[in-house]
Amino acid sequence: MPDTQNWWSTIAPAAPEMYLATVICVILLIDVFAGGSRRPRLTGTLTLIALAVGAWVTLEYGSVGGRTPLFGGLYIADPLALVLKLSALLYVAVALLYSRPALARRGTGGEYHVLALTALLGIYVLASAGNLLSLYIGVELLALSLYAMIAFDRESPVSAEAAMKYFVLGSIASGMLLYGISLVYGLTGTLALDEVALRLTAEPSLGMVAGVAFVVVAIAFKFGAVPFHMWVPDVYHGAPTTVTLFLSTAPKFAYFALAYRLLSQGLDGISPTWTQMLAIIGVLSLIVGNVFAIAQANLKRMLAYSAIANVGFILLGFTTGTAAGYSAALYYTIVYVLATLGAFGVILLASRRGFEADELEDYKGLQARDPMLALWMMMMMFSTAGVPPFVGFWAKLAIFEALWQVGAVWLIVIGALAAVVGAFYYIRVVKLMYFDDAPSAPRGEASGALRLVLGVNALATLALGVVPASLFDLCKAVLG
Amino acid sequence: MTPNLLIAIPLLPLVAALIAGLAGRRIGRAASAGVTILAVGISCALSLYVAKLIFLDGVPASDITVYTWLVSDGIRFQVGFLVDRLTALMMVVVNFVSFCVHVYTIGYMRDDDGFQRFFSYISLFTFSMLMLVMANNFMQLFFGWEAVGLVSYLLIGFWFTRPSAIHANLKAFIVNRIGDFAFVLGIAGVVYWTHSLDYADLFALAPSLETATFALSAGTTVPALTLIALCLFVGAMAKSAQVPLHVWLPDSMEGPTPISALIHAATMVTAGIFMVARMSPLYEFSGAALTFVLVIGGTTAFFMGLLGVVSNDIKRVIAYSTLSQLGYMTVALGASAYSAAIFHLMTHAFFKALLFLAAGSVIIGMHHEQDMRKMGGLAKYMPVTAVTCWIGALALIGTPFFSGFYSKDALIEAVGESQRAGATYAYWCVTAGVFVTALYTFRLLFMTFHGKERFGHDETHGDEHAHGHGHGGAPHESPWVVTVPLIALAIPSIVIGYLTIGPLLFGGAFGDAIFVREANDVIGELGHEYHGPVAFALHGLTAPTFWLALAGVVTAWYLYLKSPGTPARIAARFAGLYSMLVNKFYFDWFNETLVAPFTRLVGKVLWKGGDQLLIDGAFVNGSAKFVGWAAAKGRRIQTGYLYTYAFWMVIGLAVLLGWFLIGA
Amino acid sequence: MLVMILFYAFSAVLIAAALGVITTRNPVYSALCLVLAFFTSACIWILIEAEFLAIVLVLVYVGAVMVLFLFVVMMLDINVEELRSGFTRYAWLGWLTAFVVILELVGVLAARRLGVDATQGTVPVPADYSNTHELGTVLYTQYVYAFELAAVLLLVAIVAAIALTMRRRQGLKVQDISAQVAVRREDRVRLVRIEPEKRP
Repeated sequence: MPDTQNWWSTIAPAAPEMYLATVICVILLIDVFAGGSRRPRLTGTLTLIALAVGAWVTLEYGSVGGRTPLFGGLYIADPLALVLKLSALLYVAVALLYSRPALARRGTGGEYHVLALTALLGIYVLASAGNLLSLYIGVELLALSLYAMIAFDRESPVSAEAAMKYFVLGSIASGMLLYGISLVYGLTGTLALDEVALRLTAEPSLGMVAGVAFVVVAIAFKFGAVPFHMWVPDVYHGAPTTVTLFLSTAPKFAYFALAYRLLSQGLDGISPTWTQMLAIIGVLSLIVGNVFAIAQANLKRMLAYSAIANVGFILLGFTTGTAAGYSAALYYTIVYVLATLGAFGVILLASRRGFEADELEDYKGLQARDPMLALWMMMMMFSTAGVPPFVGFWAKLAIFEALWQVGAVWLIVIGALAAVVGAFYYIRVVKLMYFDDAPSAPRGEASGALRLVLGVNALATLALGVVPASLFDLCKAVLG
Repeated sequence: MTPNLLIAIPLLPLVAALIAGLAGRRIGRAASAGVTILAVGISCALSLYVAKLIFLDGVPASDITVYTWLVSDGIRFQVGFLVDRLTALMMVVVNFVSFCVHVYTIGYMRDDDGFQRFFSYISLFTFSMLMLVMANNFMQLFFGWEAVGLVSYLLIGFWFTRPSAIHANLKAFIVNRIGDFAFVLGIAGVVYWTHSLDYADLFALAPSLETATFALSAGTTVPALTLIALCLFVGAMAKSAQVPLHVWLPDSMEGPTPISALIHAATMVTAGIFMVARMSPLYEFSGAALTFVLVIGGTTAFFMGLLGVVSNDIKRVIAYSTLSQLGYMTVALGASAYSAAIFHLMTHAFFKALLFLAAGSVIIGMHHEQDMRKMGGLAKYMPVTAVTCWIGALALIGTPFFSGFYSKDALIEAVGESQRAGATYAYWCVTAGVFVTALYTFRLLFMTFHGKERFGHDETHGDEHAHGHGHGGAPHESPWVVTVPLIALAIPSIVIGYLTIGPLLFGGAFGDAIFVREANDVIGELGHEYHGPVAFALHGLTAPTFWLALAGVVTAWYLYLKSPGTPARIAARFAGLYSMLVNKFYFDWFNETLVAPFTRLVGKVLWKGGDQLLIDGAFVNGSAKFVGWAAAKGRRIQTGYLYTYAFWMVIGLAVLLGWFLIGA
Repeated sequence: MLVMILFYAFSAVLIAAALGVITTRNPVYSALCLVLAFFTSACIWILIEAEFLAIVLVLVYVGAVMVLFLFVVMMLDINVEELRSGFTRYAWLGWLTAFVVILELVGVLAARRLGVDATQGTVPVPADYSNTHELGTVLYTQYVYAFELAAVLLLVAIVAAIALTMRRRQGLKVQDISAQVAVRREDRVRLVRIEPEKRP
């Protein structure tokens, strides 16, 4: 075949997705045929190796200079997609690493890892979606994997309840997304996002406004923004901590891609409509997330409300409708997820058989029991609270700066107030760890290597805060 | 010059400081000292190499940006190095003195518990000072400025169990805050008018800003450049201990002696001088600011020297001498003789570090006794220290052919040439200062090394047994790690002036690093009469300054060797004057009885009324209560029932739809 | 004209059936209403000449999915009244919201600025036009990426379903048929020779 070379070059940038799909099948088969008690561990190790290779494949084939459409525009390879994919891959890998002891304790089957990989594939598809169709399939691929992962612990009725709630509400949101997409399709006559952007009229028709509203509701649901946030606390709390860790980190990149590809690229022409909707949702999220977080006694639940509040910040970045705002939102997402990863990592590493370490009470006097873990947790909390010199501070600053450029002063004021309220409950964790008396709680049973990874994770929040420019410039470059 | 070379120079001491500071206990004393000395040694060698490239090979100045920290509103905050002839000279001075002090410290701090901590601090200081001098922008300058201040604070209070040390470091910190406040205002001014933090942008724009003004209030305007220059200079006044912000420097002698040599004589206190020289393209456009500089410098040079005559603490005498010499440099700056100021800065760094280290050696020899009244005749016991101290003293008073002579004479003559307002006052101050300098310097020499031995085996004081080590209280020569740095510093103290006066002052060795306007070029005027260093020195023999210095020496000899009873009689006769000097012109009294209580009162009122009542009471606690209440109420919405959640989603959708459909 | 009449007729049935799904109390009736709704939707699709999709809808949804659904519903004896106990308390609020949403959507449809004129609507195609063929052509060329991903989606569904349901629980009493079949006499019966007791 003389044109094999030629044919391959037209689809080479999609190699990461093909690789992932292949590897999913291979691991699934190995998992089935490899017997014995070592099976869960074997699959976990294989998955991590597959992710390492995947990073190389993504970097090797996914880095294209500019915007490269493939498969008739269903697939877009561009620098943004590369950054999103690599971030998601890294966070998935670290999340699985943190989860290893907990998974081994429960003897969780190998399918867990396969589902994690399919979720990652969903994130990849979303990151590269150039068409409403691939966008929707990506959303469903990710969502389905997550539903199954949440329900994975069959022994726990709380997990089943969480999965059920997420599934039903997710289906409703999915229906709304489809309805919105069908309106957009019906009024523009195309599924390709580039084409949609071209065919938009400056003054949106009523049908388009309705379509945008449905789409925005679906996006807000996925992010967990108010008032579509009700599932977040229950799911974060009810799911096994390994799954909470997973679903609170990497999927955020997928939802960023969903919002960016659909709103900022596809519906750019009518941005005033959706930026206002997002502003309302964002402000509500900031207020509700931060205020409710204070009343929580469970750390996972508190972090769930914290997620709602932080999503508010990400959405504020989108409300600017400018490249600066999107890059600030991307930066915020990367930075926030980094600290969340570490915070749930601490919960996992502090836990042991019969001790979940997810109540705030469990962290009283952690400093005396496990000073290193307490230090890492403190760094995560400070970063999320936005205390300089941790990187979370720069992320908030970037959002505020982007808002300032478009003159949205009232959003800055609300954001700053919310950040102050937020600082209260993050720093309360630090207070519990450092200034309260230690009850005799057991120590986590994680290995030294994992503690090291967590240390690197924590130090990254500091290092990126001391030298914030490179990451921020990267975010600017890919969205420029 | 590659960027990596330049980055390595400040970074090596930083890495060493981190190692010694964080792992000092684990790796032990020898390793901590070794790693810091090695790092500073390499850094010193590298800066000598850079100096060779710049001065001998004629490599052009490099202005590189290493890292952009952040960009805000178009203003770049970055780390960058501007290495030109001025910087290269400063780098050599800083590193060389620092290296000597590192070696010397091994001996001086041998018995101290904080050995590793000390090495960590001085390496950190070296890093900070290098960052300061190598900066190419105000952000980094300010970083270095604050960092050297911080390390100085830590080191003055190094023996933190002594209340006097704590008082001294607090004083240094607070006085420097006043200067830093003005300094930040100056930087703000720079950003306001140039919209950039880079030196290069300011220098390029300075000529065009000459006519710019800033409205203080309706009707009153000040020239923008003068405002910036004055603000920056107030910062320099605190750092370089100029009247009236000098009060911290004498007290800073509470720190260990190597610190006095390194920070409070040779390097940090000259940061202000360096900064003004670096900003010469700015100062040249503000005659008013330079006049202010002249007057402050002259006052410091003369009046602070006087205080040296009445002090009995060997280190304090040198400290007042430092104040006075800094005044000389400041005067040179005010007269637009920037190169003379830097020249004096360099020679002063060597001989003053030498004097301090020699004083330290005496203090070791005397088992930590600092009072000169309890010394005398030490030359017999400590020959190396005595000889090197003599060299330092001769350099300080400006004996022809010694380094201090060249820099000081050139400086005084430059001031004499200056036509600027205030120059006459400054000229008289510095000329009279020559006599005072000679007087207190030789008073120190005679009281310490010559005359009757006033320490005695009969005298009993507590320290003696602690430090006796079996040979009673007899003074002894210091170990080689102390004397070798003394010798290493003595050599440049003699020859550096002779070797470098030609190129530095008249050979244009600073190139375009220093900018002087045609009309102000006093050094250029002097250059017409300059015929080599020997001729300059011979000419100096006939100048009034030489005879004044000689008179000072003779007076000291008469008062402290020939007729030791006379000083007490003079003191009794002029009791009012004497008590004014002993009380240091009442600066401390003024600060402590008027300024400090008033400030504390204002602070207390604001704390009680503003903080506790309004902010804590109404805002913080009030809002916290509200939030708690809202959270408790709001939890009811989160029922846990699926249909509630779905219902809220639909309501959200309905509201969103309704809002925008009606709006559209 | 006929098409219009048919369209409105099917639409009316569709809406009625959809209402029936959520209002009837018996879950079996609900499922049957859903079957009706699917069926009328298929009819409407035929009106716009999407025969293949219409047939697939009937075959897959009505034929397979809904039948399975009905089996499940009939086997599980769900007490609907209990589920609805909290529901009816807020029914008025539900009706209100539903009404508002309907009002809004009607407002969109009734507005002159709906914007459908952007697309021209469907054009009649010749009789020999094969809907299936056309779909196949684009499905395996232009939309192959989405098609393959849909396959992965199905795979995920299968994996998830199996992982969540096939689970060997500890202490569960089950029969191992193959072991029962493969058993040999020696495994079960042990012949023991017992020495008769001797009298001392």
